[in-house]
Amino acid sequence: MNGTNLLDIRDLRVSPRGMTETAILRGVTFSVAPGETLAVVGESGCGKSMASLAVMGLLPPGLERRSGDILFRGEPLPVDDNTAMRKVRGRRIGMVFQEPMAALNPVYTIGHQVAEVILEHEDISAAEARLRVVELLREVGLPSPDRIIDEYPHRLSGGQRQRVVIAMALACKPDLLIADEPTTALDVTVQAQIMRLLKRAQNELGIAIILITHNLGLVAQMADRVVVMYAGHKVEEASVQTLFASPQHPYTQGLLRATPRPGRRRAGGKPLEEIPGMVPAITDPPSGCRFRPRCPRATRECETVHPAVRQVGDTIVACHHPGRLEAVQ
Amino acid sequence: MSYLGKRLVHVVLTVLGIAIINFFLLQLAPGDAADVLAGEAGTADPEYLANLRREFGLDQPMLHQLWAFLQRLFMFDFGYSYRHNMPVSTLIFERIPATLILVGSSIAMALVFGILLGVVAARTAGRLPDKLISLASLLFYATPPFWIGLMMIVVFSVKLGWTPTGGMSDIISNKTGLAYVLDVMRHLALPAITQAVFYLAIYTRLVRAGMLEVLSLEYIRVARAKGISENRIAYHHALRNAIFPLITVAGTNLGAFLGGAVLTETVFSWPGVGRLMFDAMFQRDLNLLLSILVLSSIFVVLVNLAVDLLYALINPTVELR
Ligand SMILES: Nc1ncnc2c1ncn2[C@@H]1O[C@H](COP(=O)(O)OP(=O)(O)O)[C@@H](O)[C@H]1O
Ligand code: SF4
Ligand SMILES: [Mg+2]
Repeated sequence: MNGTNLLDIRDLRVSPRGMTETAILRGVTFSVAPGETLAVVGESGCGKSMASLAVMGLLPPGLERRSGDILFRGEPLPVDDNTAMRKVRGRRIGMVFQEPMAALNPVYTIGHQVAEVILEHEDISAAEARLRVVELLREVGLPSPDRIIDEYPHRLSGGQRQRVVIAMALACKPDLLIADEPTTALDVTVQAQIMRLLKRAQNELGIAIILITHNLGLVAQMADRVVVMYAGHKVEEASVQTLFASPQHPYTQGLLRATPRPGRRRAGGKPLEEIPGMVPAITDPPSGCRFRPRCPRATRECETVHPAVRQVGDTIVACHHPGRLEAVQ
Repeated sequence: MSYLGKRLVHVVLTVLGIAIINFFLLQLAPGDAADVLAGEAGTADPEYLANLRREFGLDQPMLHQLWAFLQRLFMFDFGYSYRHNMPVSTLIFERIPATLILVGSSIAMALVFGILLGVVAARTAGRLPDKLISLASLLFYATPPFWIGLMMIVVFSVKLGWTPTGGMSDIISNKTGLAYVLDVMRHLALPAITQAVFYLAIYTRLVRAGMLEVLSLEYIRVARAKGISENRIAYHHALRNAIFPLITVAGTNLGAFLGGAVLTETVFSWPGVGRLMFDAMFQRDLNLLLSILVLSSIFVVLVNLAVDLLYALINPTVELR
């Protein structure tokens, strides 16, 4: 939004190759300031992962960026130029993925794979890189780093492997870390450890984090700001306090009703409610507002006119009838 | 017992089984060496035949013959070939280098080019190079090797005169050193290519499929997110994993390569064990034939063991038990 942003995504549109009608991202705009944590939330299939892969220039072969700029420190990222992007990936932007069990190459040792990213981007010897790797493994909380460095991935647990992936992502001290559901595949206690690790790394390195998740509990603990996505659109954006205190979009309100919240009364609290219905198929989106078939507040207008993004108080929201809802309080 | 110990017991039992089965199979064939020798001598005199049979032990009960055969086998004594008037072991061991050169170079060719073409095809999947490679491998897969061999003789030897039509080296010019090596290579080219193309086609398809599968895996995306180059991703990250099924299949193909050598060596008059076996078959030199069969089965079983060990060595997720 202004010149001091680390990352600006402007009106990003992504479609399957050769299909002009359907789209996976339909004009998504958001920014990340240096050092902040931006949470991106929404149900599965809303386009969160594709948005982050578009930033890395790593969209799957079947998808392409139709339009929209991605600026890094005010400069357009050369996302269509693989060679140029290689200098960004792993060095300026690190990425952590959802499936730690599948994220490491089974035939190479942990040390080899972490050192690889350092040797790719920095002009240092293999011996120096190894020392750095031992240090990194210690920092991400792996036990006996000088032993585990020579282990193969299959000897590590899911949580340990995710720590290794985080070590790879942080190895070159990037400015931005994109964490795409980093704890979804892990059990709850390990989740909390990994989140603490990310928070600590952020404080020490001053990096910004995009945390993609559908766990609003994590959002409340981790994020400064939140972007809510639905069916390829950003439907709401606000600071984490504003979003939890007064969610404007019916979808956000639905998500909050479906989530146990730390700050919320336990006893006597309303039972959790799922949002009825499902995310529409990208090939067959409803007319007007994409959320209309599931929205308790839908009107005639919602059927014909797609709601534009606008500012309501401290919140950016795309809805014809935004506002507080009794049941959300 | 250690893994290796168990495997070696397995090897011995397999070889024993193969020896016994081959022995009985050959007993089923009509006629024996005595018939052939007598036929060539132009006589059917029963006394002469009986003499021959006694001399070869062919008059003994079948189980006696089997027992004697296994005892000799155990001591690596393969007996005597009356057809060639030479100990069988000398006969076979003389021919082994030629066959090893032929089979070894054709396997190497099939592997190296199969891997290269498979990787290129996978990396250009759906585009022109992939389509050309896939078409070519389909053609080679579907064409009988002996026909490819004959056509290559027609084109390269007869029409173009680039290569000799057969044999392993020039008999007339007595070359030595490097000149000899080059001469053998010139003779080797056609038979080795003939042997290789079918497997080259299989390996290309295998590597292409394996690469496509591995390239879609999460750790490849992770490697890309580290800024690794596409070349390194293909050869260092993907191929290293896509190669495992190839090793397994190539290991089990070894027996087929030896079988193929019978045909190739005959077409190109390559002086190897395959040719020897072919002749032994027609001359009903059953002892020689049986020895070749048993020896090559020992070879195949041992190489399969070596391939399994190699597999475990390069695949850290496999632990030998
Ligand atoms: N390779 C692909 N080709 C076509 N469509 C895809 C591909 N990958 C994902 N999609 C579609 O893109 C949409 C958004 O997916 P994704 O970004 O993974 O969602 P999220 O991360 O929010 O769960 C989904 O509808 C999914 O079906
Ligand atoms: S625009 Fe209408 S249908 Fe869409 S979320 Fe708002 S009220 Fe519901
Ligand atoms: Mg996702």
